[in-house]
Amino acid sequence: MVLAERVTPAPVRSAAEGAPPRRPTRSQGVAYLFLGPWLLGAIGLTVAPMVVSLYLSFTDYDLFNTPNWVGFDNYAKLFGDDPRYLKSVGVTLRYVVVSVPLKLVLALAVALLLNSLRGKGQAFFRSAFYAPSLLGASVGLALAWRAIFDTWIDTPDTALTTIVLLSAWQFGAPMVIFLAGLQQIPRDMLDAAAVDGAGWWRRLFSIILPMLSPVLFFNLVLETIHAFQAFTQAFIVSGGRGGPADSTLFYTLYLYERGFTEFRMGSASAMAWVLLVVIAVVTAVLFRTSRYWVFYGDER
Amino acid sequence: MKLYKVVSLVLGTTLVAAGCGGGDSASGPAEIKFVWWGNDDRAKLTNEAVQLFQERNKDIKVTTSFQNFQTYFEKLSTEIAGGNAPDVIQMDYRYLNEYAGRNVLLDLTPYVGKQLRTADWNQGFVGSGKLNDKQVALPLAQNATTIVYDPKLFADAGVAEPKIGWSWADYKDAAGKIQAKSDNKIAGSTDFGGTEDVFETWLRQHGKKLYEDNGKLGYTKADLKAFWQLSKDFRDAKATTSAELVTTLNAGAEQTPLGKKLSASEHSYDSLFGGYDKVRPGELKLGPYPSDSKDKLGSYRKPSQLISVSSRTKNKDAAVKLVDFLLNDPDAGKILGANRGLPANLKIRDQVAQNLTGVNKAIFEYEKSVDASLGDAPPAPPKGDGAIYKLMQRKHEEVVFGKTSLDQAVEDFFSEAERVLS
Repeated sequence: MVLAERVTPAPVRSAAEGAPPRRPTRSQGVAYLFLGPWLLGAIGLTVAPMVVSLYLSFTDYDLFNTPNWVGFDNYAKLFGDDPRYLKSVGVTLRYVVVSVPLKLVLALAVALLLNSLRGKGQAFFRSAFYAPSLLGASVGLALAWRAIFDTWIDTPDTALTTIVLLSAWQFGAPMVIFLAGLQQIPRDMLDAAAVDGAGWWRRLFSIILPMLSPVLFFNLVLETIHAFQAFTQAFIVSGGRGGPADSTLFYTLYLYERGFTEFRMGSASAMAWVLLVVIAVVTAVLFRTSRYWVFYGDER
Repeated sequence: MKLYKVVSLVLGTTLVAAGCGGGDSASGPAEIKFVWWGNDDRAKLTNEAVQLFQERNKDIKVTTSFQNFQTYFEKLSTEIAGGNAPDVIQMDYRYLNEYAGRNVLLDLTPYVGKQLRTADWNQGFVGSGKLNDKQVALPLAQNATTIVYDPKLFADAGVAEPKIGWSWADYKDAAGKIQAKSDNKIAGSTDFGGTEDVFETWLRQHGKKLYEDNGKLGYTKADLKAFWQLSKDFRDAKATTSAELVTTLNAGAEQTPLGKKLSASEHSYDSLFGGYDKVRPGELKLGPYPSDSKDKLGSYRKPSQLISVSSRTKNKDAAVKLVDFLLNDPDAGKILGANRGLPANLKIRDQVAQNLTGVNKAIFEYEKSVDASLGDAPPAPPKGDGAIYKLMQRKHEEVVFGKTSLDQAVEDFFSEAERVLS
């Protein structure tokens, strides 16, 4: 709310005084100058390839030859004519729905534990618990996982579970954010509640979780987006093919296979855009629901 | 239309940039890049040969790189798409059509018989690098399907070793006895039902083939069902590996059931014997496939690898020179030995055969023992075979794990395969 207080009154005042809208000043130019390198990168490495991939999704691009326009063919075929596509959607949804809550609960639990450890131990354990996340995208770790859970990974019924566990184990990033959020909760509020006779669970549900809900929301959105895009672990653990029997055929894995081993880059681009839209919709829905459960300290 | 212009602009700029980079190649030494798949062993020998080539051709500089099979093809496709195509490319029979059909490989026809000497070759074998009358590749070496096995386990169980004339029933029987002998700890055979290479050999034993000349599937649902039933018979007889060990030929030997000592025999290619021997030195031997037909072994003179030149190379002559050197130079032949299989040049093959030891000797002797039964290679598989190869493995896995019935898997396989080929 601090931000809003500063920003909203400004236009009201200028409208009342009838002042002209502010022209770009020299300081804005300087700002763009400093933003320049980032803007170049963002446009050249993100926006432009995205525009190209949107175009390619309407073509039969095969990586090597001039693409031909095919209209909505790629999109229609995904949903009409490809059981594996739907399978990959199923695997990914299952992964998102299971791994995200699991990871957040673990992260929150460990953050609560660490938060109660005021003193020297906290820094050490914080680093220790964070370590697996640092190695998060590491191929070596996934390979180690593959070696340890050998038999599980080679069985269709348990292969996905292993990857979920691998992801849940890497709860460090949300944990650190939770911990920072926990440390923002005024101690006097908790102390007052304790004096009033509130037990640990009562304080958790009536004070800690509501106060922490913006952080929880942030982590939820971020982890959900990440989970939809999960690739490296599944790629390494399943040897790049989503096996056994397609049980770990993540959406991104199938997309990759399409583009780079079947040379159907047009179709792969269409898959990428469907994924983008789905993630955008899911995120929008999360934002919508947030007004019912996310509590910013200044309300009421 | 506008978008297309943007794309061509972006691509165009890239090409111009790439062009500027290599523009002055005429003045300095020609630089070419040679890539292959393989292991450290092969890399050592290949780099040694390339070194010799550079010493003899001071005006050509060769850079090299290698990966394992799967990574290699993933990297290759991105490199070519990104306008960074290597100049000399080791190519797989299965991918020949995928690449050549997309105009990525140079037509070597004008060079064959001139800069690329093929006088000392089996001319049928030269033809295995041809597609639609264009010589888009030349075979680097020859290999054939084989059963790699552990003779000690066969002896311990009191069963005969693989030899020409043994049947699938003999194999099942022997494998079952071996497996029983070890209390099911070591499987008698590695499950072959998901491997297209085995299916192809089996089809040829029955006078059929993987693909018709028009690129359609060369077998019926009944054929596939019979093949998968054969694999199931092995499982039912406790004569093959458990579901969790279903594996691929493309995995390194150290990852296969035979390499891990969990199986007594495994379908493979003789050119891969070096990898097996490294994991289990001196313990394994090569034998022929079982066959129910007396005169049809099913194996053929397959190009174990081929070599192609990129159609986008800026140094055609240097690239062709390197290809010829690797294929036909006696000294290169001496260095490379039988690492990729039997050398394609018959004179070099004889020369290599003179002083053979270890792995190379085993490979040569195996090929000699089956040579009379080997057929000529079929035309390279059509575009989409790479996907069908994986499809076969996947559907077989589903059957093995009981996710799908055998009949359903056959139906699924055909509908998906026909979609891929259409």
